Amino acid sequence: MTDKLFLHDHKSGNSYPYSLLLQDVNSGGLLNRYCLKQDLYNIFLTLVIAAVNEAGIVLLDSGFTDAELQQLNIKQDDLSEQIRLNATRIASTEELLQAVRTHTDWELTLYTSGTTGVPKRITHQLASLIRAVKTDNRHRDDVWGFAYNPTHMAGLQVFFQALLNGNSIINLFEADRETVISCIRDYGITHISATPTFYRMLLPLDDTFPTVKSLTSGGEKFDPGLFAQLGKSFPNARLRNIYASTEAGSILSAGDDAFSILDDSMCRIQDGELLVNNALLGASEELPLDADGWYATGDLVEVVSENPLRFRFLSRKNEMVNVGGYKVNPYETEQALQSHPAVKQAYVYGKASSVLGNILLADVITTQPLSEKDLRDFLAPLLQPYKIPRVINFVTSIELTRSGKLKRT
Amino acid sequence: MTGKLLEIINTVRNNKGLPPVAELMEAQDLRAELGFDSLDLAELTVRIEKETGIDIFADSFVLTVGEILAKLGKQ
Repeated sequence: MTDKLFLHDHKSGNSYPYSLLLQDVNSGGLLNRYCLKQDLYNIFLTLVIAAVNEAGIVLLDSGFTDAELQQLNIKQDDLSEQIRLNATRIASTEELLQAVRTHTDWELTLYTSGTTGVPKRITHQLASLIRAVKTDNRHRDDVWGFAYNPTHMAGLQVFFQALLNGNSIINLFEADRETVISCIRDYGITHISATPTFYRMLLPLDDTFPTVKSLTSGGEKFDPGLFAQLGKSFPNARLRNIYASTEAGSILSAGDDAFSILDDSMCRIQDGELLVNNALLGASEELPLDADGWYATGDLVEVVSENPLRFRFLSRKNEMVNVGGYKVNPYETEQALQSHPAVKQAYVYGKASSVLGNILLADVITTQPLSEKDLRDFLAPLLQPYKIPRVINFVTSIELTRSGKLKRT
Repeated sequence: MTGKLLEIINTVRNNKGLPPVAELMEAQDLRAELGFDSLDLAELTVRIEKETGIDIFADSFVLTVGEILAKLGKQ
């Protein structure tokens, strides 16, 4: 057990056994309160150390630009803040996992795209992060393909599911198709949880992968046609669809695109929108609740059957655009575009994409000739890559806003 | 069509800071050889659709330049 593989990371080519994780946790020392721009092993190590020591930390998206960090009001001083740890003497991997699991009050803070343009700060206790984690002997030999951004809610869900079962984690995030395929084979991956965009990037698949027992789709609207194709290459895989959010963690799961509500004191549908009860939410001052403590997710649904209640997701109520599983607020991109001295006005919007679910486009009015590349280069240090429009049209007038009102120029 | 496709592919490469390719070959792999990730492939799709009205990823995934040309019906 002590030499069991904890993580293989294709980016560095390194493999890390659980014995190394245990040694690094026990070594104590100093821990940065803000976790930023770390490789995958160090992100995971930080999470484990923080949980074991019950040290509240903030997990920042590794793609955040300096401009975005400023927007979040995170200063250089914050980034250098350190927590002194006591050396621990945890004797075994089992003891280590137990030490993580029992610290249910441990707090982890994340940021998620807000509808106002500035990301919302959300603090979760471990108990809510691992609400959907299942640990038992049946999961002991699972091998996880890790395909989500590790600093996002979905990645954390997979991490804790794998960690608390003492499973091996094989990094597939941002891996190219050939690497993913060889990792599934070489490490005998049994479980993959990923966005539809991740699965689409694997296609076409001529081979079959019999070791894979479970494929989960999340982060974007479910794509039944895609799963039908995957079923041929993953003949032994159970296909699951999950709905999770940064605000509430993992909430719903289904075998296809129709979800059921198991506990109507936690989730309900009102005027075609999914509402989540306050009891499921992380702590935040920025989540608006109604008088009875319900949070409107902004996800619009259609009811498939009334009794039992089943429903499927349709679209977003607000302007957020889901680009390959990443939620983009178009206002944030418009503001960044309009900070260019030659951009007079910008309109940013999503267009349905057979690759990404949605692709981000922009119409701009400029006061002098610019190229798309000029604007892309201007945005690169300001925004994470998925927030940058992939096609920019130079136009002479922008007539309508998204809500159909005339835009003031 | 190959000339137009070359132009579009080089636009996508230029936008991400890659040098242009001199010519297209049918066997060229969009991901492994031309360096396109999912965001780039989505951009490529939109630009081709703008010119031809055809969504090259609509019903199945394409791997190579030759498969795009086949979908555009101009081998």
